[in-house]
Amino acid sequence: MTWRYRFTLFFFLIIFLFIILRLFYWQVVRAQELSEIAQAQYDEQVVSQAQRGEIMTSDGFSIAADKLAYLVYTNPKVVTDKQAEADALGKLLDIKSATVSALLSIDRFWVPIKSNVDNSVKDKIAAKNLPGVGFQQETVRFYPEASMAAQLLGFVGKDENGNDKGYFGLEGYYDRQLSGKNGYAVVVHDAAGHPILAKMNDSTQVEDGRTLILHIDRRIQFILDTELKKGIVTYGAKSGMAAVMDPKTGAILAMSSFPSFDPSHYQDYSDSLYINPFITDTYEPGSTFKPIVMSAALDAGLLQPNSQCPICSGPVPIGGYQIHTWNDQYFPNTTMTEVLIHSDNTGMVYVAQKLGVNRMLDYLNKFGIGDTTGIDLQGEEAPGLKPADEWYPIDLATTGFGQGIDVTPIELLDAVGAIANNGKRMEPQVVAAVQTPDGQTIPIQPKELDQPISATTAQVMTQMLVDTANEGEAAFARLKGYDIAGKTGTASIPVAGHYDPTKTIASFVGFGPTEDPKFVMLVILNQPSASIWGSETAAPIFYAVAKDILTYYGIPPNN
Amino acid sequence: MKKPLLIIGFLGIVIVVLLVVRITLVNSISTTGIKLVDIQNQIGDYKRDNELLTQQYLSSAAYTTIAAKAEKMGYVPVSSEIDLSAPLPLALQ
Repeated sequence: MTWRYRFTLFFFLIIFLFIILRLFYWQVVRAQELSEIAQAQYDEQVVSQAQRGEIMTSDGFSIAADKLAYLVYTNPKVVTDKQAEADALGKLLDIKSATVSALLSIDRFWVPIKSNVDNSVKDKIAAKNLPGVGFQQETVRFYPEASMAAQLLGFVGKDENGNDKGYFGLEGYYDRQLSGKNGYAVVVHDAAGHPILAKMNDSTQVEDGRTLILHIDRRIQFILDTELKKGIVTYGAKSGMAAVMDPKTGAILAMSSFPSFDPSHYQDYSDSLYINPFITDTYEPGSTFKPIVMSAALDAGLLQPNSQCPICSGPVPIGGYQIHTWNDQYFPNTTMTEVLIHSDNTGMVYVAQKLGVNRMLDYLNKFGIGDTTGIDLQGEEAPGLKPADEWYPIDLATTGFGQGIDVTPIELLDAVGAIANNGKRMEPQVVAAVQTPDGQTIPIQPKELDQPISATTAQVMTQMLVDTANEGEAAFARLKGYDIAGKTGTASIPVAGHYDPTKTIASFVGFGPTEDPKFVMLVILNQPSASIWGSETAAPIFYAVAKDILTYYGIPPNN
Repeated sequence: MKKPLLIIGFLGIVIVVLLVVRITLVNSISTTGIKLVDIQNQIGDYKRDNELLTQQYLSSAAYTTIAAKAEKMGYVPVSSEIDLSAPLPLALQ
């Protein structure tokens, strides 16, 4: 019996030893590898995509939101009648049948045909039960107002890793806030593939993007878009841009430029259209710059509205050049108010000379000329100003009437806004508030940047600009019954070292109603062909928009 | 001999009770995964419907859409002075 007992004991010991060795091999030697294989079988990393924040106009309407769309794909290996399928898909997807046919001839199991396909189109394709055709749900950016304020909004494209990324405008500037953060969770599945509730591990929480609430008023934006587009066609301009701002807060109420693009289909347009010219393009402002220089001279106490110009009886010679008026008409001893009414270049040379280079630069800096305004849009440019020791007498003279100096349209709008706002220059702001996913609204406060001129000077200058608007070259277009301050501008375009007399930038800047300014607006037309003058092209657009804004705000005429 | 029997008996009862509890618990939570999938599918459907309806609303309420439809229907912008004493013509074409 003893040997049997020992044999059994020894047998079981050997068996257990093998088991222990095997377990040691699995659980220690190959533990890491087996654990990874097992995890791959029952673990699944689920990515919770953060929803991109919306962009809303001041009336709460989403002008940029996420949209459900589909990627239509096919498995060419199961397609039997390729021509029939190519014809059907081509018709529904608005692609050439030959293009679809070429895709169906690729020797692969999965071939994408078209992305960003609407639900209605997807339903029509699905109803046809085409062999091999499938749909993959995707989220794309949706701009319900199409090209309205496109350059202000920017668009959403892809980064180098294929993730959504905002480019240009608000989408670019506020990309981090709009994007949010994706959440990652590990879900453990049972043998049937069902998730095991008790084993769900939410490692990081998804954080949706924040929503931007803009100062942009959709009604004013629509008015501006419509009138600017109409004006560009009517006056045969190559391009045009305009913006409306609340001078008291710096709130941008509307900003347009044409030609434009549809941000939903940005790939179909030239890259050059993505840039917002209102904040990036520099140009010589011409006579719309005169109110800035005149304000400086008034504020410095060098001149009064009724001060007379002693050099305005004819062309002014400076440094080998002759400064003429735009129409070669001269008004001896003209007053400063009349200098603005007649848009007299010789009068402005006198004003600039009274200021001198250092004082001129000091005021230009205070008005923000040459510097970025800080507007919350991607890509703002600052042309800069020459240092005082690089200014020649001719530079000082031409700066007086807005030639030989570069500005961006937003700089000029902001500077004129200071005149409308009792001398206080505000930071232009597009976004009024940021809304977090939990509904908390964080307002962005208006910011005063500087006070280039006193309130008294601003009021005097405002009255001079009202007289200019009512009695100047654009008086025919003015709004009767309203006090609107304004100034036309017709700037020559420098081409190869000289000014081309046939190519101009026509503009009009103004604000109103002057007793309580609700808007300051700048309209610019690039090379209008019907007339080269700002008074005959940009001014009518300005007044057409102003009229609609005043009606929209319910402001009655005051006389 | 009585004590070991009692202990074995007690352990046996504990084992049986634990088995019953385990079977009951497993039975009750075995379908939660399936329910979870159902709920997630329902949430997905509602989200999809909601997004589609939002899209439809935004497309319909866009000024560009309204302006195009209004123009097609014959509405024209009033460019003359507005006389509040007379009714405004709405559709002129």
